[in-house]
Amino acid sequence: MKATILKTFVIAAVAALAIQSAGAQSTLDRAKVLRAAADALGMVRWTDIGAGATRLPAIDVVNTMEFQGSGTSSSSDRAFKTEYKVALGYNPAAMRVEMTRTGPGGGAPQHSIQTVRENYAWDESEIGGGLVPGKSTATPAMAVVKDRLLQLWTLPYGVVKAAVAAGEKTTVSTEGGATIITFPLSEQLAGITVKATLDSKNFVTKVETRPDNPALANLATETEYSDYADHGEILTDIKSPGHIVRRQGGRPVLDIQVKMWEANNPYLVFPVPPNVKAAAAANSR
Amino acid sequence: MRLPASSRIIAAAAALCLLPAAVFAQEFSQIRRTSNAPPKPSGATPRTPDGHPDLTGVWNGLGDNLLGVPNQIANNGLAIESESSTRDLHSGSLIATFPRNTNRPLNNEESERAASLLRRVGSNRPIYKPEYWEMVKNLDANANEEDPSNNCMPAGIPRAGIPSYIGQTPTYFIFIYPGQGGLIATQTMYRMIPIDGRKHTPLQELDGTYTGEAIAHWEGDTLVVDAWGFNSNTWFDQIGGYFHSENMHVIERFHRDGNTLTWTATVEDPDVLLEPWTTTPRVALLNPRPNAMLPESLPCSERDLAHIVTKEHH
Repeated sequence: MKATILKTFVIAAVAALAIQSAGAQSTLDRAKVLRAAADALGMVRWTDIGAGATRLPAIDVVNTMEFQGSGTSSSSDRAFKTEYKVALGYNPAAMRVEMTRTGPGGGAPQHSIQTVRENYAWDESEIGGGLVPGKSTATPAMAVVKDRLLQLWTLPYGVVKAAVAAGEKTTVSTEGGATIITFPLSEQLAGITVKATLDSKNFVTKVETRPDNPALANLATETEYSDYADHGEILTDIKSPGHIVRRQGGRPVLDIQVKMWEANNPYLVFPVPPNVKAAAAANSR
Repeated sequence: MRLPASSRIIAAAAALCLLPAAVFAQEFSQIRRTSNAPPKPSGATPRTPDGHPDLTGVWNGLGDNLLGVPNQIANNGLAIESESSTRDLHSGSLIATFPRNTNRPLNNEESERAASLLRRVGSNRPIYKPEYWEMVKNLDANANEEDPSNNCMPAGIPRAGIPSYIGQTPTYFIFIYPGQGGLIATQTMYRMIPIDGRKHTPLQELDGTYTGEAIAHWEGDTLVVDAWGFNSNTWFDQIGGYFHSENMHVIERFHRDGNTLTWTATVEDPDVLLEPWTTTPRVALLNPRPNAMLPESLPCSERDLAHIVTKEHH
């Protein structure tokens, strides 16, 4: 009897240790993988210039960025030659996508400016539209808040930031030799799971999103990133993709070759126009 | 070992900006910190015979508020509170914080590129009218040529930040800004600010100057310095290309708590800004030596700009 109790205790203790060890290993792996992905992108930085004896830790230095490129975009099964320019920020979460599209038959180019900031989405008649009365307009587009925010958070930097923020809900694994990071998005994008694939240099090369709710099937996307380099005129050691291919519902929607990616936290702001705030308040009543 | 050309240029620029200022901060820079959070106040707040807080003193206890990346990150609104926690004070957002992954010192290029990012990562940005957004972005991107302070011009107000010395009398204040170092290499500036109840000269009667016309009053224990009558030759924050018009109006607030002095500046400029903008509060520490002095102000002589070949900058 005594031996049985002892044996049971030993088995329980070993099991507990094994579980604890597996947990610690998982935490360690997650931290290591996320750090490696952040380091590959050049996001985690520190410096001691003028610091004296002070030694600060490293922090995520990515806030605002601007990139532009050209290629094709598709909607309603039509492909357009596209000039693509994006201003974005993560604090606050915001993105302004400016597209000039020319159809296969030529004709006048279509120009659009689609903006999102936190809970607000709107279209601008020109950059900053709707902020100065009488000069230009902003048209509320609240129905596409999630769609636009998803574009921000599926960029490589958004993936790393959101995976870090998801904490223990983030898991890491391997698939076919590649490292996979899986995590749920939160706030406006709650209910969407992201699966990101890293290459051997720890660059985010593929990002897939899967909504839990079938009604949000349009938020099932797949984006591929390649040709990473420092594409800024001001060199920052932040690496950005040179080629972006996005599919939605299995169909290609964007294929862009990046010409420039400024990562030096440039002056980019996204104030919400008063009429957009008013429209959002009216919608919520 | 010879550094690459770009590294040598960055190193030269860094040396120009940092060496003179190091004089002020040398003895205090040995304080070991793992945080850039504002210093905690200690001691009583001295008062003048008329009952107001006495702001007199040399306020460079942790170095000039423009000196050193830890201070500059704080000026930009980021409090690195510990080895694992950083907070953006304007938005309240947490910023991911990581241990350093190497003890290898960064080379000049790595250090300057990181510093440039760290100084700009905060969310507290003035909101210009949309027609000026591209201009501000380009001024910052081309700051090597465009930043007025790079040619030894005065930093102006409020870019100069917290004065390194404050002298206080019942009817006026003296502020001294030694300049010539830290983030921006500038001329020495001084201000004589009356606190005798006088009103501003009408703006249209003033010729714009670098420090403007300033008058002061007390709001409780807070000294409020109200200034207008500026020229448009300066930028109003440490980085960012934040130009302004001659109609800029600046309200600075100084509050002493023991051995700390908290400063904010609010910039109103309806010609170019959509709304007033207020700096993230900065906190200076009183120099603890009772006989503390400001050393001689070294001449600012710019000799590097002609040799800079990239857009990498502070």
